Amino acid sequence: MRAVDWAATPLGAVGDWPQSLRTAVGILLSSRFPMWMAWGPQLTFFCNDAYRRDTLGHKYPWALGRPASQVWAEIWDDIGPRIETVLTTGRATWDEALLLFLERSGYQEETYHTFSYSPLRDESGTAVGMLCVVSEDTTRVISERRMATLRDLGSDFSIVRTQQELLTFTSRQLDRNRWDLPFTLTYLIDGTTARLAGSTGVRTGHPAAAPAIALGGPDQVWPVATGVDDQLVDLNSPRYAELPAGVWPLPPAQAMIVPLLRHGGAAYGFIVAGLNRYRPLDDGYRSFLELVAGHVATGIASARSYQAQQRRAEELAELDRAKTVFFSNISHEFRTPLTLIMGPIEDLRRHPDTGPAVRAELDVIHRNGLRLGKLVNSLLDFSRLEAGRMQASYEPVDLAAVTADLASIFRSAVEKAGLRLVVDCPPLGRPVHLDRGMWEKVILNLLSNALKFTFDGSVTVTVRGSGDHAVVEVTDTGIGVAAEEIPRLFERFHRIENARSRSNEGSGIGLALVKELVALHGGTIVADSTEGEGTRFTISIPFGSGHLPAAALTAATSAAGPSVAAEPYVQEALRWGPGHLSAESVSAAEQATPLLTPQLSRPASVLIADDNADMRDYLARLLTAAGYHVSTAVDGRQALAQARATPPELIISDVMMPQLDGMQLLKALRADPRTEAVPVVLLSARAEQEASIEGLHAGADDYLIKPFAAAELLARVRANVELARTRNHHARWRTALIDSLQEAFFVCDGDGAVIEINTAFTDILGYGPQGLPYQPTHPWWPDADTDPHAHHEVATAFDTLLHDARGSYTIPVVHRQGHRVWVNATFNKAQDPDSGRTVTVGTFRDVTAEHHAIQRDSAIAALNVRLTQAADLAHAATGALTELQRIWRGAQAWGVVFRAATPPAVTGADGAPLDWAQLPEDHRDAITALRDGPNLTATASGADRAGIRLEHPHGTMVIWLDLGPDRPFAEHDRLLLSLLAASLAQGLARAHQIDQQRETALALQRAILGPAQLPHGFAVRYEPAATPLEVGGDWYDTIALPDGRIGIVVGDCVGRGLPAAAVMGQLRSACRALLLQDPSPARTLMAMDHFAAATTGAVCTTVFCGVLDPRTGHLTYASAGHPPGIIAHRDGRTDLLDGGRSLPLAAAPGRIRGQAEHVMPARATMMLYTDGLVERRRRPLDQGIASATTTLHEGRDADVDQLATHVMDQLTPEGGFEDDVAFLVYRHPGPLQMTFPADAGQLAPVRSALRDWLRRCELPGDTAHGVLLAAGEACANAIEHGHRDNPGEPIELRAEAFADRLRLVVADTGRWKSPTPNPARGRGVGLMRTMMQHVNINSGSAGTTVDMYARIP
Amino acid sequence: MTATPLDVSTARTEDGSTRLTICGEIDMTNSARLAEAISSASAPVLLDFAAVEYLDSAGLAVLFAQADRIELVANRMLLPVLTVSGLTELISVREAPAG
Repeated sequence: MRAVDWAATPLGAVGDWPQSLRTAVGILLSSRFPMWMAWGPQLTFFCNDAYRRDTLGHKYPWALGRPASQVWAEIWDDIGPRIETVLTTGRATWDEALLLFLERSGYQEETYHTFSYSPLRDESGTAVGMLCVVSEDTTRVISERRMATLRDLGSDFSIVRTQQELLTFTSRQLDRNRWDLPFTLTYLIDGTTARLAGSTGVRTGHPAAAPAIALGGPDQVWPVATGVDDQLVDLNSPRYAELPAGVWPLPPAQAMIVPLLRHGGAAYGFIVAGLNRYRPLDDGYRSFLELVAGHVATGIASARSYQAQQRRAEELAELDRAKTVFFSNISHEFRTPLTLIMGPIEDLRRHPDTGPAVRAELDVIHRNGLRLGKLVNSLLDFSRLEAGRMQASYEPVDLAAVTADLASIFRSAVEKAGLRLVVDCPPLGRPVHLDRGMWEKVILNLLSNALKFTFDGSVTVTVRGSGDHAVVEVTDTGIGVAAEEIPRLFERFHRIENARSRSNEGSGIGLALVKELVALHGGTIVADSTEGEGTRFTISIPFGSGHLPAAALTAATSAAGPSVAAEPYVQEALRWGPGHLSAESVSAAEQATPLLTPQLSRPASVLIADDNADMRDYLARLLTAAGYHVSTAVDGRQALAQARATPPELIISDVMMPQLDGMQLLKALRADPRTEAVPVVLLSARAEQEASIEGLHAGADDYLIKPFAAAELLARVRANVELARTRNHHARWRTALIDSLQEAFFVCDGDGAVIEINTAFTDILGYGPQGLPYQPTHPWWPDADTDPHAHHEVATAFDTLLHDARGSYTIPVVHRQGHRVWVNATFNKAQDPDSGRTVTVGTFRDVTAEHHAIQRDSAIAALNVRLTQAADLAHAATGALTELQRIWRGAQAWGVVFRAATPPAVTGADGAPLDWAQLPEDHRDAITALRDGPNLTATASGADRAGIRLEHPHGTMVIWLDLGPDRPFAEHDRLLLSLLAASLAQGLARAHQIDQQRETALALQRAILGPAQLPHGFAVRYEPAATPLEVGGDWYDTIALPDGRIGIVVGDCVGRGLPAAAVMGQLRSACRALLLQDPSPARTLMAMDHFAAATTGAVCTTVFCGVLDPRTGHLTYASAGHPPGIIAHRDGRTDLLDGGRSLPLAAAPGRIRGQAEHVMPARATMMLYTDGLVERRRRPLDQGIASATTTLHEGRDADVDQLATHVMDQLTPEGGFEDDVAFLVYRHPGPLQMTFPADAGQLAPVRSALRDWLRRCELPGDTAHGVLLAAGEACANAIEHGHRDNPGEPIELRAEAFADRLRLVVADTGRWKSPTPNPARGRGVGLMRTMMQHVNINSGSAGTTVDMYARIP
Repeated sequence: MTATPLDVSTARTEDGSTRLTICGEIDMTNSARLAEAISSASAPVLLDFAAVEYLDSAGLAVLFAQADRIELVANRMLLPVLTVSGLTELISVREAPAG
């Protein structure tokens, strides 16, 4: 402090310092807690010794007296604002463990400080400085951080199993500390290479993160030395450029390579750790890294050890599996040959030709075969017990009864041996849960054992209850067991040497097995014995089922007798008796009875499935000899196919077969309604299958375990066949019935799969019962790609089948051989009485022939409709082609017409002409060949084309069909095309004839129909019939009569076409002449009566004949059977001209006709028409007239020509008129039309004419005067301006009245001057606009037109 | 140019005014005659248009020009023209008794 030249600082010499500063400095210097302070405008720096030591470092003494902002320049950004806050607010700050990079040791150092800034005040109380009390936390913060990493690393090895999991786990932990470990690379050594196994902080593929490093190799990324020491690597070489920095601003300057040490061995590998450049590599840092490596190494060691153990366990398990497989296979290997030995021996022993000596030998073989079988079974029981695969099935049984039954089996053997069998088994009153099969073995073994070692006395079996246990005792009076042997009595393979016994045979496994089996029942067995007196085995089994696994409990089954398993025990025991041969020999009675069981009422068919050829042959021989019809299959799949095709009456199947084993076969058979009732007998050899057969019992009708006796097999086969026959009588009857149906029969399940079919089904579709079930999409569906339409039809039908209760449909399907079959199917939903499922039962028949006949008929009908509708020859031809394309769906149809001296004319169905030369050559050749062939003979050409030749009005026509790929042209197609072509030829001829007629008729009709010039106010229309387009006998006419009136005629003569048109022409002319001669409608029609009577085809013509005075609207008219004219009034009312009516022309010649009068009011519209306009099928005529009236009223404000168009538009039916139509429209009064020279003198006469016309229009006075004035002004303008320079040029005036308005048009051929020079004329235009509602003055080079409308109130 | 016929009769009334009774249609062909008749008459002039069936813009122009000297009696048919032209705002127009 004293070394500082304070005078040079803003604070001045110490002596001048204020008291407040002195006090503050005093506190500072005297404190042993690190402090610094700043005072004055520059915040001059002071600090004490403690601060100097801990924090200031080598900045001392330079810092003293300097501005604080210089002293702590590197952290001023952090602390400056804090100091500012203190000075301005006077409030202290508090920061805990704030990271500050200090440069107190010559490098930027990561430090943590907890500090508080508090204000220092001068005498006036103003904050002029600050005091900082600091404690440095760097060591604490960093230690805690490292400890956390080490703790996390060691936290949870328990869940880490494999080395990879370990590395993932450690990487995750190391990555959480990027302060101390900006990056890490973990390498594991594999021979001479270190491989990257984990990394943190650095991206994969970074040059520093080399995937492999050759140990000791030159120029490796990390210079790894083998050894136990850490190595420091400087990272300033370019190869370490762009290393990640972790959380720091700059990447590490050094890295440490730390080995992953293994106890007593070479290192597992090493970790490369990037070092925090902001901390020194001190002991703390170094030991942190070593501890990290230690954790990782420990983890690797534990993971590797775990894996090794795991591998050993797996190997042991594998060994165990192998052993089990070995035992299982052994059993199979033993049992099948045993069967094949025992079966034929049985045959030979019973054979009458077998002599006694041979039989004795055979008995030996037979006996030993049984023994071998018993031994195999016992061994297998052990193997299953060991593997935990002894699948017991405990059911509540009457223990006393079962045990007594078993004991009684041994009675004969015991008695033969000269002993007594005492059975004392009173009922227990409550059941004991037993596995019957196991219990048999327990009792049989004990009895067998007792008999074997007892020479005098008795064997006693007792059953009694004792508390909550049932106790079974088997006691003998035999040789007994020495006391020292008793503990080993139940040991496997332990035999008591030199014991006297009835037989030396014995494997020493019987009692061991008994003990195991009793244990499975939750019971115990003990033996007590006195040598020379006898032995007692006491079994104790708990009542109830609580001690047994719940899954193995079953309900009580019917009390079956002891199984065949007892046989070997008894046989063996009998052998021990004195006269032992007697039991083994086949008795005389047995010899007389062949092994064959009594014949069935009729032979049954049996299917044998076994992959073992010997066994198959043996069984076949056995069963054939017994009178069965035998077929064989070498595996399950073949058996299934055979059974489906021809269900046998019984199936015998081995369990173990390739392709489809016995279990799967059984399942498949049961799933198929055709075979579900076929009884199946399973033959089993494999140990674990015996157990599973129990569970299968519901599915298999019976099962035999190899080895089995031939007689037993035959007995079971016969029993099953008979049972099935009884059971299946009904089913077979049903099958026979269904098969006898001529209609195809099928049953579908809920998903639409076909599960049953009959013979007719196969006949029609080619699909037999072998393929069942047929899942949808069924194989007979048409292909969706090549025949989408048919596919869609079938799919739609299938939908109804799935969803509707019943239905019927006709669909195209595909026979198995590929041809199209049409079937008509009917189906009904039904409930399967057995399963309760809803099934669909259906029948169908082949309607292909009918379908083709109907198709032919409808195709010909459709073609004829097309031909009739065709307006002309060309349309007939294209219509026919379109129809052909429709019939042969997807086909391309062309018509080629050959006519002399012109190239062949080719048309497609779209009517567009094609170029003959553009057709492919093979097509052209084939078409030419057809042309030169016979008429109307359809010929297929190649696989998918066909054609036919026919007469065409212009020459010869060939119709050519390109059917497209996979569309064979079948016989029925040929027939159809021939028939169609015949129809077409006729149709074309007809169309041609009509063409010619119509052409003439149209020409004629145009020539004779109506006047060229109509009087004003009239409009007319004529429309020939549309389908077919045809002229007719309708006409209209107007005749200007000498007295200024107008004759109006509308007529309709009977018939169509040319003849009618010709008659019409005559009638029209006659009517015209008659009216001119005598303008009386009635008299005219009477004269016409005579004319028509004399004219062929004119009788019954209807005519309206009228005479109209256009000035007054007065109409005189008469009607010869013609529909009434319509007059639409301006006020919406309607008059029908229904007076003056009488019969059509010539219906009653000479009869007097009357006539009627009618006055048309102004602005009314009259329409006269022929019946084609209003007549429609299935509609009364008055409705047609009403609708015509409506259209007439609708056109009230249109001029008559527009009105006629409107009427035509509204009344033309879709597709055109069926009959020809003529009509005439007139609005009264007709328009006024005047042309006059541009001369003012014309104005008065024009006004006079207009006034007169307006009067006829019956306008209100004001309106009329307004129109008059507007017209006068327009005319005056035309005269004055339009033609000022050319007086006398024409001016046109046209006035036309509608129902509610009036139009006035004045047109000149000159130009108006603009602007208007004469103010009076300007007033004229104003007047026009005032008087009329709408004025449009259109001036152009051709003249000026004034177009005005007035609304008529 | 043939003028449209127009009858003009002049009468003097007791109060010294002139009564011009016009009969016919007034259009561009005879409006000059009307103007002349009005000018030559001594004011005030009462124009009786009861029998005038047509009066167009040429006639109106004459009436506007002489508006300060005339009064008008017109039939019902002419009233709309006289009104829309604005003449009724300048001169006195009375409706002629029907008949």
